[in-house]
Amino acid sequence: MTTGDGGRAAARDGPDAGVSADESASDGESATASHADAGTRPPAVAVDGVTKRFGSDEARVTAVDDVSFEIDAGSVVGLLGPNGAGKTTLIKSILGMVLPDAGRVRVCGHDVQTEPRAAYAAVDAMLEGARNDYWRLTVRENLRYFATVGGVDPDSVTERHDRLLDRLDLTEKADVAVRKLSRGMKQKVSLASVLASGAEVVFLDEPTLGLDVESSRTLQRELRRLAEQEGLTVVLSSHDMDVVETVCDRVLIMADGRIVADDAVDALLRDDGHHRLRLTSRDFDAALLSRLRETGTVTDIDRRDRETRIEVAADSDGLYALMARLRDRGVTLDEVTTVDRDLEGVFVALTDTDAASPDSESPSRVADGEGGR
Amino acid sequence: MTTGSVPAEGSDSTGIKAAGYYQLVKAVLYREAVLFVRYPANAVGGIVIALFFFGVLFYGGRMVAGRALTDSIEGIIVGYFLWTLSVGAYSSISNDIASEVQWGTLERHVMTPFGFAPVALAKGVAKIIRTFLTSAVVLGLMLLLTGTSLEINLFTTLAIAVLSILSVLGLGFAAGGVTLLYKQVGNWLNLLQFGFVVLVSAPALELGWTAVLPLAHGSGLLQRAMLDGTRLWEFSAVDVGLLVAVAVGYFLAGYLVFQYATRRARRLGVLGDY
Repeated sequence: MTTGDGGRAAARDGPDAGVSADESASDGESATASHADAGTRPPAVAVDGVTKRFGSDEARVTAVDDVSFEIDAGSVVGLLGPNGAGKTTLIKSILGMVLPDAGRVRVCGHDVQTEPRAAYAAVDAMLEGARNDYWRLTVRENLRYFATVGGVDPDSVTERHDRLLDRLDLTEKADVAVRKLSRGMKQKVSLASVLASGAEVVFLDEPTLGLDVESSRTLQRELRRLAEQEGLTVVLSSHDMDVVETVCDRVLIMADGRIVADDAVDALLRDDGHHRLRLTSRDFDAALLSRLRETGTVTDIDRRDRETRIEVAADSDGLYALMARLRDRGVTLDEVTTVDRDLEGVFVALTDTDAASPDSESPSRVADGEGGR
Repeated sequence: MTTGSVPAEGSDSTGIKAAGYYQLVKAVLYREAVLFVRYPANAVGGIVIALFFFGVLFYGGRMVAGRALTDSIEGIIVGYFLWTLSVGAYSSISNDIASEVQWGTLERHVMTPFGFAPVALAKGVAKIIRTFLTSAVVLGLMLLLTGTSLEINLFTTLAIAVLSILSVLGLGFAAGGVTLLYKQVGNWLNLLQFGFVVLVSAPALELGWTAVLPLAHGSGLLQRAMLDGTRLWEFSAVDVGLLVAVAVGYFLAGYLVFQYATRRARRLGVLGDY
C-alpha cells in the first residue's frame, strides 16, 4: 500500500477481515508493499489481451480489440482517444463493470473478475464527474460514506479527510450539503470522495471539467503531489490536452479499439524530424487545399474571411516540395510562423480527428438538477 | 499505510482500519437517518399519502359496504399495515438502483470490496427500517382515526412482519436485477405492488396452495397475532416453519436472480448506463 496515510486497510483485511484477507494472502502481500520494494511489486494496472465486442452477427462492434499494457504504481497516465475509440469500455473493463470477451485485468496484482473484492479494495473511480456522490449529504458525510463503501473505517481516516478538504480548498464547505455548491465545487467533492478511502489506483474521467482555471490548477497540483509523494496511481481520461500534458507522465492513445500510441509525454512531444509551420495566404483556393491535403503534409486548415491559414508538418524534402508547389501556383505567403509540437497535434496526427470534439462515449452529463440524491 | 507488514486487527501502521459489515450497515443507516431528519417532507408526505389511501378505503368502503366493512376494520388495518411494509420492502432495492443509476453513484456501489449485492442488501434493509417506522406511525394513526384497537405484541408482530416481507425483499432483489438490465422499467415493476393486495388478502381465500406465495401465509399469521393475540410460540411448528421457508426461499431466489442479472449487465456492458 503506497498511498501514504491513505492505503485501504481493506485491501488486506477486507470486510470483516474475511474474503479479501484470504484473497490478498493468496496473492501475496502486494497491496501492502512499500516504495522500498517497488521493484517486486506487481503493476498497479495490468491489462492483458482485453477484447470486448458488442452486438451480434452483422451488427457486431469491436469496442476494445486485444489491448495490453501495464501501468506502474505511482504514475499518472492519460487515456486519450476520439469518440468511439473504446476508452470508456476499456476503463469499465478494467474496473470490472464490463466483462471482456477475452483477456484479463489485474489491479495491484488482483484479478478483477476472480478476486473483485481485493481488487476493489485498491481502486476507485470518478466516472460521472460531479455526479459521483450524494448531493443531499454534506461534503464530509460523503467522504465518510464513500470511505466506508470503499472498505475503510471512516473514523480511522478523519485526519486524511481534513487534509484532503484543506488541499482542495473545501474546508469551509465541509459541513455544507453538496447540492448547495457550485459545479466546480461539486467536481472537487467528487474527487475528494474518490480519494477518501485511500485507494491505490484511481480512474478519473474528465476531472477538470467545469472547473475554473484556479481550481483546475489546484486539482492538477494535488494529483501530481499524490502521485509523487504518496504513490497514488492515476489514470485520467480527458479532452483537455493541456491538463494531460501537464499532469501525466505517460499517455495511451486509443483509436478504433486499439492502442495506437503508448509513450511518455516527453517522448511523444519530442522532435520527430518534422518541421511544423503555419502558413497564411489569401491565395489558397479549394482545389489547391484539396491537393495539399492529399500530400499528407497539411495537418490543419483554418479559413477566415479573406485569408486561410494552414498548418503543415513535413521533413525538409517534403517542405521544399510544398514550397515549390506553392511557388508554381503563384501563391504569395503573407505570414510564415513555426509551430511548437504539442499533445493535441500528436493526438490529431495519430487519430486523424479533431481533439476538441465532444466524447459521445463518456457518460452523459445531466443538468445540475438535484433529483432526490 | 506504507509498510509491508500486516498489522493485526484490520488496521495498519498509520492507524487506518478496514471497515467491516458493521461499519457498512452503520454508514448506510446513518445516511438514511440523515435524509429522514434533514428532509422530513418526504417522510411526512409518505405518511399522508398512506393515510389518504386508507381513508379512501375505509370511509369509501363503509359508504358502499356499510356495517359489513366496519365489522372487519381490524383485519383491513392489519392488511393495510402489511401492504405498506411490503411496498416499502419491494421498492427498496429496485427504486434505489434506479435512483443510483440516475444519480451516477451506482458504479461506486459496484466497485466495493463488500460486493455489490451485500451493499444493495444493506441499503434495502435501511430503507425497510425506515418503512417500519413510517408504517408504525400510519398504523397508530389508523387505529386512532377508526377508534379500534389491536393486540400488538412487539416481538411477535416484528418477527412475523419481518419474515413476511423478507419474501417480498426477494422479489425486490429480482426487480432490482431487472432494473439493472433494462433501466427505466419502474412503472412496470411498480404494477406488482398492487398484486401484493391479493397476496395480503390471500388467507381470506382459504386456498392451501397460496401459503407458498410471498406474504400470504405471513399475512394470515399476522392477522391471528394482531387480532386474536396469538403469540409466536403459540403457532404450530408447521406454521412457523412454512413462514421461515417461504421467507428464506423467495429471498434466496431473488438474491440469485440479482446476482445473475448483475453478471449479465456486465456482459452486455449496460451496468450503470442510464
